[in-house]
Order: sequence, then structure tokens, then C-alpha cells
Amino acid sequence: MFRAFAVGAITLAAATTLHAEEFKWASTTDPQTLDPHAVNSAPVLGFLNNVYEGLVRRGKDMRVEPALAKAWEPIGDGEGWRFTLREGVTFQDGSAFDAQDVLFSYQRASSEAADTRSWFAPISDVKVVDDYTIDFLTNAANPLFPSSIANWMIMDSDWAEANEAALPDKDNGNYATLNANGTGAFQVTAREPGLRTVLEPFDGWWGDAEHNITRAEFTPIQNPATAVAALLSGDVDMINPVPIQDAERLSTSPDVTVIKGIEARVIMLGFPHEADVLKYGTDQGKPNPFKDTRVRKAVAHAISVPAILRTIMRGNAEAASQLVSPAMNGYSRVLSERPPFDVTKAKDLLTEAGYPNGFSFGLKCPNDRYLNDEAVCQAVVSMLAQIGLTAELDAMPVRTYWPELREDNYDMYLLGWSPGTFDAEHPIRFLATTPNPDKKLGSWNFGGFSNPRVDELLPQIQSEIDPATRQAKLDEVVKILQDEQAYVTLYVQPLVWGTGKNIELTQRPDNFFILRWVTVN
Amino acid sequence: MLAYIIRRVFQSVIVLLVVGLVAFSMFRFVGDPIDNMLGQERTQADIDRLRTDLGLDKPFPVQYFKFLQGAVQGNFGVSYRQGRPVSTIIAERAPATLELAMVSGFLAISIGIALGVFTAIRRNGIAANTIMTLSLIGVSLPTFLIGILLIYVFSVELDLLPSFGRGETVQIGGWSTGFLTASGLKALILPSITLGLYQMTLIMRLVRSEMLEVLRADYVRFARARGLGERAINFRHALKNTLVPVITVTGLQLGSIIAFAIITETVFQWPGVGLLFINAIQFVDIPVMAAYLMLISVMFVGINLIVDLLYFAIDPRLRVDGRTA
Repeated sequence: MFRAFAVGAITLAAATTLHAEEFKWASTTDPQTLDPHAVNSAPVLGFLNNVYEGLVRRGKDMRVEPALAKAWEPIGDGEGWRFTLREGVTFQDGSAFDAQDVLFSYQRASSEAADTRSWFAPISDVKVVDDYTIDFLTNAANPLFPSSIANWMIMDSDWAEANEAALPDKDNGNYATLNANGTGAFQVTAREPGLRTVLEPFDGWWGDAEHNITRAEFTPIQNPATAVAALLSGDVDMINPVPIQDAERLSTSPDVTVIKGIEARVIMLGFPHEADVLKYGTDQGKPNPFKDTRVRKAVAHAISVPAILRTIMRGNAEAASQLVSPAMNGYSRVLSERPPFDVTKAKDLLTEAGYPNGFSFGLKCPNDRYLNDEAVCQAVVSMLAQIGLTAELDAMPVRTYWPELREDNYDMYLLGWSPGTFDAEHPIRFLATTPNPDKKLGSWNFGGFSNPRVDELLPQIQSEIDPATRQAKLDEVVKILQDEQAYVTLYVQPLVWGTGKNIELTQRPDNFFILRWVTVN
Repeated sequence: MLAYIIRRVFQSVIVLLVVGLVAFSMFRFVGDPIDNMLGQERTQADIDRLRTDLGLDKPFPVQYFKFLQGAVQGNFGVSYRQGRPVSTIIAERAPATLELAMVSGFLAISIGIALGVFTAIRRNGIAANTIMTLSLIGVSLPTFLIGILLIYVFSVELDLLPSFGRGETVQIGGWSTGFLTASGLKALILPSITLGLYQMTLIMRLVRSEMLEVLRADYVRFARARGLGERAINFRHALKNTLVPVITVTGLQLGSIIAFAIITETVFQWPGVGLLFINAIQFVDIPVMAAYLMLISVMFVGINLIVDLLYFAIDPRLRVDGRTA
């Protein structure tokens, strides 16, 4: 009798907890692959961070912390890094983790077929010392290396080879595109691309679970209105993102919590630094005024960032003074002032530059890449009109936007940049150095901004070990970029998530959703 | 008859080839898939290499020819986005769209004809006039608005039906069906109403006006004079004679139900081929776009052919004309 009662109670408890701890979430983009080395994009890496793990990982405050490596230390005088691996870790298929898997994952992730190759550009050689010690030798001193590989995930060599997935295959896909075998806190138990992906806790995980989820299901929902309805009706427990215009209304709902934060992404305006003539507008064919620093400064003074934040971002973002947000490593605190909104000063600068009556030009803008990007560009157009600059706005989907920028079809453009390494060095490498395909520098510097001192400082920043000296060099670059007004930085993009009232989670500025920090109450 | 069919099939093949050519000439304006496939840290060399690998550096007639070469062998290429064969993906997604189309088609035809007959017979009644007025909503409101409205009322406010997705599905062979589970059936209700509403009102209005026409015809008056019952007159004589135009329209509408399920599928995150197509456009997934467009044109051409053949079956006059022609 007692036993029957006890069994009944247990089943009941199991049934209720099972129900309570099921977690469903939705986001706009489905990870296009489960292969952690095939595509270097936030939706893929963010999702796979729940399944695979790297040698190091980022914590709730974005600080780098030990994961599959227990510890790491520099070798000699900047020759490389030695990682001591965690023992007793198993992959989700049960096989053991050791240095061979790290070596294999290095070879896989740095291969020609991988999209993550650039992370390993500074590496000259990788040597397995013993089963749980591995050396990464670098070409030059590289203090940043451990924090630059937080998204490099370790795959089991035997599993990959047995399933003929020793190399990523982006064009045709392979076993690893649809299946995953990591060491992470969750394992993929069902995968239907574009429809749903089911994750369940991995019993053999080495860490202590902070979550109470028994099953998690991810569904991509592209239509923002549908996602909001799904959250309101309780069909999903979390959505990312919440459309910014709905955030306020949703936060008044009794069933929903809106979580706001600042993303790592800085939105800015870029200029053609090399073009000889204007390409659009009524002044088409006339000499390019944006070559003159005073004109670029006039643009900076003419734009009221607070007004943009108030009206378009509804108070959810903050102004940006440099290419990275204050949350990033290497942010220059001494140079955190943005050029103030000052129409008179802007007009004076234009007059000084020889354009008292302004001029007309073309502004290119994406309309589906950043939050409310087209609206921001429209605001920029009307603000520039106040100082006599007539911008012809051409907004387009991002799939045609990048090709246009690569073809140099713009007189001014909007760009957002989120540093993958969470370090101020990243945007300098991609946006501020003179474009040089051989050295893989300046690959997103569409306007061709070039300053010899910045080019000289970048390698020094990359190899400087002393934090104070490094920061001084970073500050110097920021100073040059501000003095030259290479870009007009506008604001740091907001991050708005919505959850059910019973959900507790942590929002990280890289917009990665980490399942192991979720609690369902 | 046989010559007619052969001629029609031949014409259909030409139509398909032209559709493909137009589609391929447009893809370049949809955008460039390269940026979506490579990460932030790509170099110009990566871009050029991938473009060559995918054959995107070739002019569009060459790309089209390569696509046709594969297509006739049943190989539609590999999706840029998912890295899986397009034929597999479409086969996975087709059941969702077909089941949705089937249910909304059934709703549209059955309710449409019933209401059409009702409003024709009782054309001065209050109920009939109310239905006619309401049907204007179905014709004039855009699909996405109806969808959002239904979600708002039945999912958010009343919490009766799911707001998105297909619910639980059961796999039978290669076919995933939502007909066999409670959540699957519940999930079908809102999207099928959304998708079928326009067709339903269209069929209803068509049946009504045809019925009114036929009810005034001499043979109906004679039938009434012969003392036949109302039921026999309305359904055996009148309705049967209204069906020829109804079948044409319904047939063509069936095609558009499948083709234009895109909007309904986007609103309800319904995992069918329409949603697949929208995602493919966003990603510039050329193989998926090409296969989808070809599939839809094959379907339209096929339905037109079937409708033409049905005419032969229903209307004896056409058969005679067909023979003498």
C-alpha cells in the first residue's frame, strides 16, 4: 500500500517537473549547420556553444574562463601558449577527450575548407606534449590568443573520422552538418533544419549544472509578429529579438519580461576615402568632398545621436565614441567623448572646407541587417539636410548591400561591427588598417581609409604583452581615428530579448543564448 | 484527344523552359549568396574561391544549363544554406504544404459551395445578406492580416489554439502527417482558415451568381412546372449546371493555394515549401529558389492541363468540338 502510494507520488512529481522544466525558445535565424568549423557566424556559434566546448569559454561577464583547458600559460618569451587539459571529460557519444582531439580540431578548424581559419593565422605549429598538455606556437608574441579562441570548439577525432566528416564541407554538407557530438552541457537529440532542434542535458558533462532544464526545443520564427504572439500565448518561453517597437508594450504584459542590454555591435557611417568623385546625387562626377577631414567632422557634428536613440531606439541604446563599446577589452576610456551635436560648428566646418552651400551625394543603407537600420538612415538624411547636405538614400536588403559596397557604389554608407574577439584590436584590423588582401588586413575597410601610423601600431598592439603599454597604443589609434574622423560612430546597438515571467536567464553582450544559465520556475 | 494532349504537353515543356530562363536571369538581382555563406573574417580570396566553386562567376545561361542538366537527372543541386540536397529538403517540406492546401481547399470548396447555394436560394433572406456582406471581408482583407488577427484572438487572447508551427507530426514512410495527432489537427485550424478564406468567398460568390443565372433558365422553370421537388431542382439540375465554371476556377485556385501559401506559412511559421522559399530568397539560396519555381510552374501547367481535360469530361459539347477541330 505504502509502496504503491510512494510510486504514485514519484510519478506525479516526475510528470509535473517534466512539464515545468521543458524550455522552448525562438529566434529569427536557424543555425545553418551543426558543424562548428564550417560557418563562422553568430547564430551557428551561439547555438553550438550549448553543445560543443572550446579550450576556453566566456562567462556571464564575457571574461575568458577555463573550459576544456584547466589552465594555460605563455611559453618562453612570447613563443606561444601551453594549455593543460581537463581530465576525465567525455564526448556525448562516450569516448574520452584528450590532446589528440584538440590537435585534430585545430587541423579541422584551420583547414582550407573551414570558415574559422583566420583564428589560427598567428599559429605556426601545434605540438602534443602528452595526453593532457598541448602547445600552440605562435609566429610572434600573441597575448590575445587564448581569448581569441573562445568560440573554437573541440570535436572528437574518432567520431569525425568514423563518420567521414574529418573536414567541414560547406558546399555539400556531411555527417557533422546534421549531427553533433560535443562535450557540452547539452546534446542534440533531434535536428530538423529550419523547423526545430531538440536539446537534452548531457548526463556525462564534467561541469555542475546551473540550469534545471530537462528538454529544450529551438524553433526559428522569422516573422517578428508571430514570435511576439508565440511568446504572449506561452507557446515559447523566450524570443530573441523582441522588435524594438514592441518592447515597451510587451514589458507591460503580466506574463512577459523584457530583458534589455547592449550588444557588442557599434553602428557607424563610413566614407569613401579613396574615391575621386561623387557617384550619386546632383553633384555626381564632382570631386569627392569626403576626402576632406573637415567635411567628415561636419557630418559628425550634424548628427544628433541622442535624438536617434530617443526616437528610433526608444532609449534602448547608447552613443558610441569609438569602434568598440565600453564592454570590450581595450576600450579607450580617455577618449570616450563623441563629437557634440552642433549645427553651427558643422556649417562652419563645411564653409571652411569650401562647401558653404553644401552638396548632394548618395547614402547607401541596409534595410534588414541592423535594428531599424533604414529608419536610422532616414534620420541621418534629415539631420544632414540641416547643414545643407542633400543625401539621396538608397536602402536595400543586406544580400545586395555587401556586393554594392565591395563595388564601391556609395558616397557614404552605414556599417555595424561586432568584434568577434571582444577586443579593440579586432575592428582596427578589419576596418582601420590599409586594405591588404595578402596580409588579410582591412578586409571590411570599404572606403580604403589609410594611415601609416595605424598600420604600424596594429602589429605592435597584437604582440604587446604589457596591458598599460598596449592600452596606450590602442588609445593612440582611437585618437588618430577620431582626429581624422575615419568613421562617424553613432551608437551601440541594443539587445532586446523577451521571456516568460517564470524564466531566469543571462543575456550576454555577444547575443549568444547560453542554455545552461536558464532556470525555469 | 491524344494529339491534343501531346500538343499541350509540348507547350507545357516550352513554358517551363521559359520560366526557368526568366528565373535564372533574375537571381542575380536577388543578391549575392557569398556574404551569407562566409563569416565576418572572410578575405577577398575566400570570396573568389567560393564564387568559382559554386559556378557563380559564370554567365546565367551557363548556370541555367547546368541546372537543367542536373534537373533532368533528378538532381536539383545542394542548398547553399543547409548543405543538403534540395530534393531531400523539398520532399521533407512538401507534406506540410500539401496537407495545409488540402484542408484549406476542402474547406473552401465545401463551405463555399454550400454557402453559395444557400445565398442563391434564399437571396433575400437576412442570413444570406449577412453572409454576402461578411464575404466581402474575405475577399478584401489581405491574408497576413487575417492570420495575425486569428492568432491574436485564438492564441493570445483565448489561448485555444497554437500560434505557430505544425504541432506533433507522425512519420509514415517519407510523409510526415499532422492529421494523426491532436496537436497536429489543432495546429491546422488557423492556417487553413487563413489560407482558404479568400478561395472560399470566391467560390461562394461564383456559385451564387451562377446559381441565380441557372435558376432563371427555362429548364428550371419547366422542372418546377413538372412538379419536381425543390431539392431535386436546386441540387440535381441547377447546381450541376453551375459546376463547369466553378471547376475551372477551383482548379486554378488550387494551384494558387499551394503557390501562395507562402504568406500564410510565413505568418504561422508553417514548415512548408513556401516558408522554405522565403528563407531561400533571404539567403539567396539559388538551388532552392530554382527548384521551387520549377516545381510551382510544373504544378500550374499540370493543373491547367487537367482542368482542360476535365472540361472534356463534363461538357459533351466541347468533346464534339474537340473531335471536329
